[in-house]
Amino acid sequence: MSSVTSNISARGGALSRLKLGPLWLAAPALAFVAVFLLLPMLRLIGLSFSGEETAGVSLEHYQHLADTPIYMRILWITFRISILTAFFSVLLGYPVAAWLARLPDSSRNKWLFLVLLPFWTSYLVKTFAWMIMLGDRGLFNSILTGTGVTDGSLDLMYNEFGVLVGMVHAMMPLAILTMVPVMTGIDRRLPLAAGSLGAKRAQRFWLIEFPLAMPGVAAGGLLTFITSLGFFIVPAYLGGRGQTMLAQIIIMQVQELVNWAFAAVLSVMLVAAALVAIWIYDQFFGLSSLTQASSTGVKGSKKGAQWLRGAGQKVLAGLAWICSPFNRLGDRGDDGPKPVRAAYLGALFLFLLAPAIIVLPLAFTAEQALTFPPPSYSTRWFSEYFGSQIWISATLRSFGVAFATAILATVLGGMAALALARSDSKWGKTVFGLMLAPMIVPRIVIAVGLFYLMAQIGLVASNIGLIIGHTLLAIPFTFIAIGAVLKGYDWRLDQAAATLGAGRIKVLRLITLPLLRGGIISAALFAFVTSFDELTIALFISGGLKSTLPKQMWDDMYLQLNPTLAAVSVVVLVIVTAILLLAQRLQKS
Amino acid sequence: MTKTDRSLLSRRSMLAIGTAALAAPMLGRRANAQTASLTVADPGGPFNAGFSKAFYEPFTAETGIEIVSVARDAEPTAQFKSIVETGSYIWDVCTLTLSARLILEQEDLLDDIQLDPALAENMMPGSVHSNFLGTDVYATISAFNTQSMENGPSSWADFWDTDAFPGRRALRRNPIDTLEQALMADGVAPEDLYPLDVDRAFAKLDEIKDHIDVWWTGGAQSTQLLQSGEVDMLAGWNARLQSAIDTGTPAELVWNQGLYSIEGWGLPKGGPNVDAARQFLAFCARPEQQALFTDDLSYGPTNLSAYEHISEERAKVLTTAPANLDGMVLADESWWEANRAEMTERFNLWLLM
Repeated sequence: MSSVTSNISARGGALSRLKLGPLWLAAPALAFVAVFLLLPMLRLIGLSFSGEETAGVSLEHYQHLADTPIYMRILWITFRISILTAFFSVLLGYPVAAWLARLPDSSRNKWLFLVLLPFWTSYLVKTFAWMIMLGDRGLFNSILTGTGVTDGSLDLMYNEFGVLVGMVHAMMPLAILTMVPVMTGIDRRLPLAAGSLGAKRAQRFWLIEFPLAMPGVAAGGLLTFITSLGFFIVPAYLGGRGQTMLAQIIIMQVQELVNWAFAAVLSVMLVAAALVAIWIYDQFFGLSSLTQASSTGVKGSKKGAQWLRGAGQKVLAGLAWICSPFNRLGDRGDDGPKPVRAAYLGALFLFLLAPAIIVLPLAFTAEQALTFPPPSYSTRWFSEYFGSQIWISATLRSFGVAFATAILATVLGGMAALALARSDSKWGKTVFGLMLAPMIVPRIVIAVGLFYLMAQIGLVASNIGLIIGHTLLAIPFTFIAIGAVLKGYDWRLDQAAATLGAGRIKVLRLITLPLLRGGIISAALFAFVTSFDELTIALFISGGLKSTLPKQMWDDMYLQLNPTLAAVSVVVLVIVTAILLLAQRLQKS
Repeated sequence: MTKTDRSLLSRRSMLAIGTAALAAPMLGRRANAQTASLTVADPGGPFNAGFSKAFYEPFTAETGIEIVSVARDAEPTAQFKSIVETGSYIWDVCTLTLSARLILEQEDLLDDIQLDPALAENMMPGSVHSNFLGTDVYATISAFNTQSMENGPSSWADFWDTDAFPGRRALRRNPIDTLEQALMADGVAPEDLYPLDVDRAFAKLDEIKDHIDVWWTGGAQSTQLLQSGEVDMLAGWNARLQSAIDTGTPAELVWNQGLYSIEGWGLPKGGPNVDAARQFLAFCARPEQQALFTDDLSYGPTNLSAYEHISEERAKVLTTAPANLDGMVLADESWWEANRAEMTERFNLWLLM
């Protein structure tokens, strides 16, 4: 196939600029992204410039934005919370990632599973569990006052602290998952060598290990930051009066005030914020390092980054110096038990798994109220769930939509990844950017744009609309997952099969696909769970009898808030766990 | 300066690309002859329990038409718009507040209910419109936890008095009702509230801002706040607060200076099952049916004849019981319709400051 590429490029002339070679494989995915992401985005931008009465271009909504101090303030709050979330997710997740990176592959996968589990637990369930733990009469405060640690209750919720707990909990798995692959690529002999040359622990860490892990740290920070920009569940339920985020205001503009144009303006603002963050990242690290694999070392291809890297080195050297007095603290040596590290890891895994642990007993309460621990136990809330036509139909719908999404997203994302792996076209970078775009544009903006589009073509409250929206969100995941395995794929195997007389289809069926199996399976499962847990798009595009499970849970949390929600959460948890376990099993065999 | 751009969607949809043709398969409307089931959107929670007993199940028993109930969003206006404009009727009937009714009427998104005037004879004033059948009267009142407070606030002025009534407080994260509460706390008589003196209201809110521990957003949250003891006193909708009491929370409702409003059924214009939906609405106007929802949902029936079927005990906690209604006023939806966007913006800014 590569010979085809070279033939084409050899032809030269105007034609070669049009010929994309294997890049054509990416066409379906590109078309999909263009129609369901770029088109709605453009229309939102157009909408944001529309006037109230006049048909022409108008800046009145932007004028309103500038005239009203509230929106700049909310943008600032959104930024602040997102930056803090990214910072703490990376900071607290770093030791876990570093520890995971040093484990042997088999046991690393087991522990990664525990990191993934909270990641795939519905945001609603997590938030709901934190409400029970952090309340004034909640679990933590009962423990604190009960044991006499504090006299009165602490304010753990309805303030910035509560929001950060919820958001860091939600985002840390993502940070860890992004850092681990980079860290596994670090040559562990380097810190050892530095040590043998006399570097102390602080120097070894800050001058050797940390700079090498930096691409992972930065990618983790960027992904958590961008994802955090679009949060609305956590600030709504765990925040106080000072924690309003932009996504909440966008939802309010659309659903309560029915002010589309202004919602469009706010969406444009949110996308601009995300793009600025990405531009900064690209300046320093290059966007392609986002797709994990084994990107080692700082790319630093951009000249503008040079001085900053120099400055960064100085900062790191300074940090090493500051930390040097503590060289003797903590765990010593490379062998033997490490109580400090074990305690930290234990606390962190407890933090990650706490919501799941809390929800379990609550689902079996016999009470109407959500008191923890439950005074008595029963299965009445499970009967409620299994006996309810609404809940069951929402569950089945979620399964169906997720299944269709998994197939569609894997095919589209897989073809695009294959195209990119086999092509050296200059368009590659553009294709790459477009494939990742659904991950970069905050979900709430995608949802608003799609709702606006689908309201006009009659796809609101339809399964097709949901599948389209979810596929869009899942494409970056499938693209990255399959792209990662393709990086290590030996194309000579294809050629060997071809020389032995196998046709293209046969090569694909008997050689390529079986070898890529692991990547394809994890891509499909990622897509499945993305869809199964998705709320933002479902919030706008499903409704009535066409609700998905997360949408039904959201309604329930808003309108009802009783232990049925805990029971449903347990059911979802069991399903997601089963799928993740299945994935691991399938990948192994 | 604030403008809500409601006309936009419809204007845009005229321009919608050829894709609009995709909506064409949504034909087969008005195939009314045998409606097998109606999809009804209600606010969930105690509504669902109460309405099932009062309306859904008996209606099915009488007519054979099945009622499928779903929960709707707090403000179904955006959904109504997309339902009618795209012809994807996910609901046949939906509950609306009076203010939502006003918005939808202006946009011509509601169908006539064609209610027999005889049925409306003993209904609350303002509860029946040509496109709206009021089913229940709700009130925004306050409640306090009787276990943590011996003596609760009996007026909004008391609620604002943090010295005489120390404790954790919650208000709704919304200017609607909250501004009125602030004005009443400042001494404005309930009947003189409208048009609201907004600056005065915000000045009064400033006083209590730092003493509000929770600003709640959803009705279920207010129930949970009272139930879990998270706060000692709060403002909320009476049935939501009552449902905490019904599940054993030691709390007391304060009806004095409450604001009431009416909630009821509306029909999205041009729905496929409109005849059956009208039949359902007429059924819901019956006093003996309305009496039934009051066991689970402590809102007042709009048909006052319903009280002939309600125990004296339960009547005490219902909004339209004379003793409760006396101290309350009707919230002015038209004032809010005109000022809502601006007030929401100002209130949200105020919260952040």
